[in-house]
Amino acid sequence: MTVTNHHPTDELLALYSAGSLPLSQALCVSTHLEYCDACGHKLRYLDRIGSTLMQKLKPSPASAELKVRTLEQLDSLPEKQVETTSEVNSSLPRCLRQFINCSCDNLGWKRVSADISRVELWRDNNGAKVELLKIRPGGAAATHTHQGDEYTVVLEGSFSDEKGLYQRGDFLLRDQNDRHTPVATRDCECICLAVTEGPVQLTGFFSRILNPLIRRAYAV
Amino acid sequence: MGKMAENQATSDKLASLGVCMRRVAEDRDKHAFAKLFDHYAPQLRAYSLAREPGADPIADELVQEVMIRVWLKAGKYNARLSNLNTWIFTLARNCRIDLMRRSNRHANTINPTDIFSQIEDDSPGPFQQAQISRIEESIKAGLEKLPQEQFEVLTRVYLEGKSHQQISAELKLPLGTVKSRVRLAMKKLKVLVTR
Repeated sequence: MTVTNHHPTDELLALYSAGSLPLSQALCVSTHLEYCDACGHKLRYLDRIGSTLMQKLKPSPASAELKVRTLEQLDSLPEKQVETTSEVNSSLPRCLRQFINCSCDNLGWKRVSADISRVELWRDNNGAKVELLKIRPGGAAATHTHQGDEYTVVLEGSFSDEKGLYQRGDFLLRDQNDRHTPVATRDCECICLAVTEGPVQLTGFFSRILNPLIRRAYAV
Repeated sequence: MGKMAENQATSDKLASLGVCMRRVAEDRDKHAFAKLFDHYAPQLRAYSLAREPGADPIADELVQEVMIRVWLKAGKYNARLSNLNTWIFTLARNCRIDLMRRSNRHANTINPTDIFSQIEDDSPGPFQQAQISRIEESIKAGLEKLPQEQFEVLTRVYLEGKSHQQISAELKLPLGTVKSRVRLAMKKLKVLVTR
């Protein structure tokens, strides 16, 4: 397990524990948890809070019929559950394997600039996007802001921006007021999981020309 | 009943449920399973109704789904590592997400099973049994001492499954206030101690 330095806030972890986070964001938290013991520890505590709150509710009696129906179902269940985890990507976080069933190199990366490639893993009806970003060693992303929040988890390598250095397992949340320029460290390429709630706004001079194109990519 | 006696009764009850759990895991004992059902089904219904008041069929479906997962996953439950109540809560939360996803036929949503499975299967944690029940008691006491406004926000997050934005709209409070109430509650409950 890697020691990570950047974590989700406690409020975000509490939403995760409660099951109240949108699944795209929950995916990022879950990915971070696979790297971070400290947050895993906290999560178990938060789950206990949820469990205690559940016990404080006024119980709502179940019908005898429901009990019979549930007991009857037991006989028709398979004795052993089939495990369906793919073996291809054992180095990937477990929660990402539902999207990736081949080696990471064969994912169909699309180049978006000299330094960056991306591959979209999933997108929902509200414009939320789950993708992997790959920055080549020493490469930089265009300076950008966001219309919505951007969640990032470092999967391989490391990068830095105006606020710090991020390594494997680190979790970042940038909102629309953050303007940042991520740069990968020189020794190796950097792969990140990125979830964006809305289109990213590029703020560099040339990149501004790209904005309408990017917005179009989000139109459903 | 005094506080001490009450705590004793709660932990006796939990211990006897733990015995049922072991019988289900080891002997596939349906009588033991029925006892677990009697205890947890009303709690699970209440949990579902907190989010969707009046929706009895959904509440019953949640009970069935959770109890069937209890039967199927009994062998994976490890009493030394987690409290049975907490395990049931995580199953209930995961099932609720799953049911909502399935009822929303047109939304192309992520499969939540993989996202939450590591927690359901409960990888080894640092807690021993004695510590677990001490933590449980401190949470219970902590919740009772929380200011009403913080307790209310926590309830909406955990039981009604609301986002901070939804809560802010419902209570007509700025988003920052909702977030800071959650944060303060966490602090009072000593979630912030580690790290």
